[in-house]
Amino acid sequence: MPEVVEPLIDAAAKEFLEAPCSLIVGTVDDDGLPDATRAWAVDVEADGRLRVLLTANADVALANLRANGRIALTATDFVTLDSMQVKGHVTAVEPRTSADEVRFDSNWARCIAVLVDADLAAAEVIERFAPPGVVACVMVVEAIFDQTPGPAAGTRLAPTGIRS
Amino acid sequence: MSPRRQVTLYDIQSCFEGIIPAAIATASADGVPNVTHLSRVHLVDDDHVALSNQFFSKTVRNLAENPRACVEVIDPHTYDRYRMVLRYERTERRGPLFERLRRDIDAIAALTGMQDVFKLRSADVYRVVELELVPSAANLAEMRDAGPDGGRES
Repeated sequence: MPEVVEPLIDAAAKEFLEAPCSLIVGTVDDDGLPDATRAWAVDVEADGRLRVLLTANADVALANLRANGRIALTATDFVTLDSMQVKGHVTAVEPRTSADEVRFDSNWARCIAVLVDADLAAAEVIERFAPPGVVACVMVVEAIFDQTPGPAAGTRLAPTGIRS
Repeated sequence: MSPRRQVTLYDIQSCFEGIIPAAIATASADGVPNVTHLSRVHLVDDDHVALSNQFFSKTVRNLAENPRACVEVIDPHTYDRYRMVLRYERTERRGPLFERLRRDIDAIAALTGMQDVFKLRSADVYRVVELELVPSAANLAEMRDAGPDGGRES
C-alpha cells in the first residue's frame, strides 16, 4: 500500500527551499554516529516530498540513508542567514535523471550569481566547490524548524509550535 | 587510538578563521540527526578544536546525550571542504580558551547589534578523531593531473 504523505511544506517553505541557498545534510549510522554533507538542489514535489540532490561521493551519508533513511536538511540564505531545517526520512536513493542534471546546473548557476552579487566570493573560486556528481534522494518531511541563528533556533514551525 | 589522517589541523588553519560558516551534524540518543551552521570552529592544538556554546540549542542537547559530531569546514581561499569527526572531551568556563572564544562572540554580537543575545556560556573542546578532504570535481581533476603519488584524497 503506498505511503500516505501529509504535506507540511507550504508555498513559502517551498519557495525558500528551492531558492539558491546553502544546503547542508545530517544523517546518522545505526550506531548513532552523525555525518554532515552537502546538498545541491531541492525540488518540492506535488505530494510534498522533497527530491534532494546529494554529493555523489558522500559515501558515509549515502550508506546511512540506505541503512536507516534518517535525514535532516538545513537551508540557509547566503546573505540574510535565515534558515530552515526539515527532518524526516528518505524513501529512495537513486541515480540522477536528466531533469536532476538540469536542476543542478540551474541551481548551481543561481548560487554563484547570488554569492558574486553579494561580493561573498569570486566566481572562479566558487567553481572549485562543485561536486564531482550528484545523486537524488526522495525525502518525506516530518517536521520543520526555524534554524535562523539566535536563541529561537530550533523552534518547530510544523506540525506544532514546540521546540525541536 | 591515534587519528587516521594525512591532513593535519594545522594544514587547514584558514578553515578556522570564521570566514565561511561550518556545518555540524549531531544526533540525539534515539538516532535523530540535526544539522546546522556554525559561525566558527576554533583550532585548539594538533588534535582538538573548540566550539562555542551560547544557547541551550538542539546541538548542545544532542551532544549531552551522544558526544559525537561531524563537522564540515571550508577553506575560504580554495573552497576545499574538509570533514571532521569529533568526540566531546571537556567544557571550559574560564581561562585563555574561554576568553578567546568570548572575544570572538562579542565581536560578532557587536557587528550584528545583538550584544544582549549572544553570550558565551562555555567553550566545548572536542578531539578530532577523523579528518579528510571531501574531494570536489576540481580536487579530483588536480589529483589526476598530479599522478599516482598526488592522487590521494587525504
